[in-house]
Amino acid sequence: MSRVYLPLILLLLLVMQGAMIELIPARVDELGWLIVSHSVFLFLVLFKMFYDLEDTYYALFFAILFGFLIDVVYTNILGVYMFSYAISIYFVHGMRKLLHANFYVASLLAFVAVGLVDFLLYLIYYATDVTQMIMADYLINRMIPTMVVNLMIFLIFYALFKRKLVKWSKERFDEKRSTN
Amino acid sequence: MSFFRRKRLFSILLGLIILVGLIGFSLRDRDQLSSVEEFFLDAVGWGQQIVLAPVNYTSRLVQNISNLNNLYDENQVLKENLAQYQQMLYEVQELRNENDELMALLDKTESITDYTAIQATVTARSPEQWFKQVTIDKGKQDGVQPDMAVITAQGMIGKVQSASQFSSSILLLNGFDRSNRIAVNVNLTDEDEDARGFILDYNEERDQLVLEFTEYYDEIPEGEHVFSSGLGGIFPKGLEIGTIEEVTTDQYGLTQIAYVSPSANLSDLNHVIVVDRGLPSNNDDDETEEE
Repeated sequence: MSRVYLPLILLLLLVMQGAMIELIPARVDELGWLIVSHSVFLFLVLFKMFYDLEDTYYALFFAILFGFLIDVVYTNILGVYMFSYAISIYFVHGMRKLLHANFYVASLLAFVAVGLVDFLLYLIYYATDVTQMIMADYLINRMIPTMVVNLMIFLIFYALFKRKLVKWSKERFDEKRSTN
Repeated sequence: MSFFRRKRLFSILLGLIILVGLIGFSLRDRDQLSSVEEFFLDAVGWGQQIVLAPVNYTSRLVQNISNLNNLYDENQVLKENLAQYQQMLYEVQELRNENDELMALLDKTESITDYTAIQATVTARSPEQWFKQVTIDKGKQDGVQPDMAVITAQGMIGKVQSASQFSSSILLLNGFDRSNRIAVNVNLTDEDEDARGFILDYNEERDQLVLEFTEYYDEIPEGEHVFSSGLGGIFPKGLEIGTIEEVTTDQYGLTQIAYVSPSANLSDLNHVIVVDRGLPSNNDDDETEEE
């Protein structure tokens, strides 16, 4: 079943991102903070940590696909989210080999990976002149608030999806092994 | 192991090449989306219309409740305004009749003020806040085409950036840059002629539009309304854009510029109107409003 559910959840999160700005209070805007929710990416981090095996790359595949979708739907420059998501999920993949997949490691990795994604986005958008924000402004006004808010979203996702993902992973990959 | 390392390096390089290729592809001046993009936009657009409807409804409900506080004061002001409008309505009707008669005398039926309105609802907003972009639920099938102006009851909010079959994305005024100028008029009360100029840019720090005048005008009172002049060839005449906040000169002191604050609230959008200018526009010269 996970083959159907996982893309569906990702698609739902992608659609929900369009309403995220409505949920951010106006107070934040007055402070000059830019908060971007990377909920699709956060789910992909969980996906990578608890669903994928060490030698499978489903999360990476979905990172490329849904990164591309975000590019198409919400921005007018293609390839930027696609590239940043893919690189960052690959980074998570590499770190996962070194670390145990438990709650603290997962949160820390998600925190760092969101920072990495957002920084890559900033670099590419700065290079293509979408934003003229200087680095110091970016770090204070966008990167830090974004990382903190996304960590909170990650904790909610962890509570919601972690067990399901582990269960689906067992169902899928154990089946494969027993049939082999 | 060394082979794997090489493969990894290879993939990252390949990724970079694809990235640069895609960015190059999308930064080109394109007037139409590719069919792949249209397909995904429409598919996700339908999802947004279904899933986000309750979310948007709730967030608007909360806003409405918080608006209830100043209901009484607003009501008083509106009643006063209403009394004045009765007078104005009569005048407008007279003028309109006169205008129709004069136009009939001249055998002139089309004008750059004419447009047909396409009603639309905002379904989603780009989560990437560097793109001032919203999605609406009307597309090419409803007659929306790229570069059409988009307004609300308060004034202009932006233009259609790209249209797919059943949804389209709109570039808001605060995302405008030098490649999409608007030709505008400022109504000068003391003189016969209007002051002419362009909306050039959006100043992020002041949250105001930058208007550059084509000539030098002595008296431009603050608080004057800025309207589109229709001379750019894309937007119709008479769309309200904003009010003048401050008149200064540019950084070299050569041209007169003004800061204009948009009349429409760009952060709280719900129902919008896409403006289809009846007259043929000079679409040959790409996106630029005025050449």
